[in-house]
Amino acid sequence: MSDTYERLVQLLVKNFGFDTDEVAREDTFSKLELDSLALVELTLAVQQEFKIKLTDDDLDANDTMEQAVKVIESKPVVA
Amino acid sequence: MPGAAPFDAAITGIGMVTAAGIGTDTAWETIVTAEGTAASPVPALDGTPSAIGCWIPGYDPIQAIGRRRAWRFDRSSQFAITAAAEAVGDSGLDPSTWDGTRVAVVLGSGIGGAASWEKQHHVLLDDGPTSVSPLLIPMLAVNMSAGYVAMEHGARGPNLVTATACASGTTAIGTARELLRQGVCDVVITGGTEACLIPSIVAGFSQMGALTGRQDDPSAASRPFDADRDGFVPAEGAAVLVLERAADARARGARVYAHISGYGASADAHHATAPEPSGAGAELALRAALEDAALAPDTVDHVNAHGTSTPLNDAAESQLIRRVLGERPAVTSVKGVVGHSLGAAGAIEAAVTALTLDRQLVPPTANLDSQDPRIELDVVAKEARAATVEAAVSNSFGFGGQNAVLVFTRA
Repeated sequence: MSDTYERLVQLLVKNFGFDTDEVAREDTFSKLELDSLALVELTLAVQQEFKIKLTDDDLDANDTMEQAVKVIESKPVVA
Repeated sequence: MPGAAPFDAAITGIGMVTAAGIGTDTAWETIVTAEGTAASPVPALDGTPSAIGCWIPGYDPIQAIGRRRAWRFDRSSQFAITAAAEAVGDSGLDPSTWDGTRVAVVLGSGIGGAASWEKQHHVLLDDGPTSVSPLLIPMLAVNMSAGYVAMEHGARGPNLVTATACASGTTAIGTARELLRQGVCDVVITGGTEACLIPSIVAGFSQMGALTGRQDDPSAASRPFDADRDGFVPAEGAAVLVLERAADARARGARVYAHISGYGASADAHHATAPEPSGAGAELALRAALEDAALAPDTVDHVNAHGTSTPLNDAAESQLIRRVLGERPAVTSVKGVVGHSLGAAGAIEAAVTALTLDRQLVPPTANLDSQDPRIELDVVAKEARAATVEAAVSNSFGFGGQNAVLVFTRA
């Protein structure tokens, strides 16, 4: 069982001031009130945390956390 | 407007975030005890040649602004938001019911979000441009503090940040009063903010020789008008006032701390950083402010001086005060306590001057152990002085030769 979801939640806790229990797998970024600037910020944090490369479009405001986990896990780890 | 009746802007709310305290009452209590608040090393400056500063360790942006939002703002905007919230609350005005189109915001800031810029510059060098935060620009841009304060309170009137270096806060308040006088708004949220106790900025001031060398004795380092002063102590902080036309404040029964009754501004047109030695440029601003307030120079009871604790400023400013206002005013500089917060300084000093008029108590200048004999002024030292203060002046002078002076009268 991967820990991608938990690590993604921890990014929201560490960088965006969330409490762990404020985030659920079915929540969209829009519901979490992350605007476009925050999503770019999150994209940067995800790249650093998971050592992957994302495009600007990989995380969408209408994506759920669960969908984001799938996107992250689909990307190859870069050195 | 020569010949026009003096225009009084009523100060109906005050908010402060300073090394002397967060919140107006706490800050005032520390300021009247004249204890220096400088520390060394400031953590962000540790390991640099000049690590002394008046920083605000007790400021918790998460507690002040909220954990879900605090990360979006540079520290300078955080301070402004906190001070503005206190000032608006203190005024008794209700942003949920006011006509926001008639509420302006005018803040001063010398440098803006320098800490965010410096941090992201490291990211740029270490990880490349595609790792730079998308929030860098709204964190860095000097106008953003006023924009964010407007968003907090639905203030949709004129909105700007003035940048006149160390006079920025005073310029902002003077400009805010003009907006009220012109009738383009009914309420102005005004003041100044600064948060740049960071290695690059402090090194810049250090390299120009402006800072104190007293790294090992921080609480005694800022000593305006003292014979042994050797430079300023950099500081961070913010202060915000709520201004309304005096008649409006009276009509709604608001508590009024003091009136701002005059404003004057000028330029030395002389040198990047040194004050014009004769003080002629600063004198233009001071005389303009007095004329605006229709006050004779010999009726000024109190001067809240720029008083940076640099050899050059305090010598030139004291000659100016003596020449224009004479021996009468009780002079003080709060920079002995709170250091020099650059673009916030004039706003913090305006807040303190308003409280001085309200409480009829002149705060003392910290660390004034041996007054420079060339400074022939009545500088209040050691203990606060109860005094009748009907009219007061607050001076601010910025690098670039920018001078701004406010005149305050008792409400």
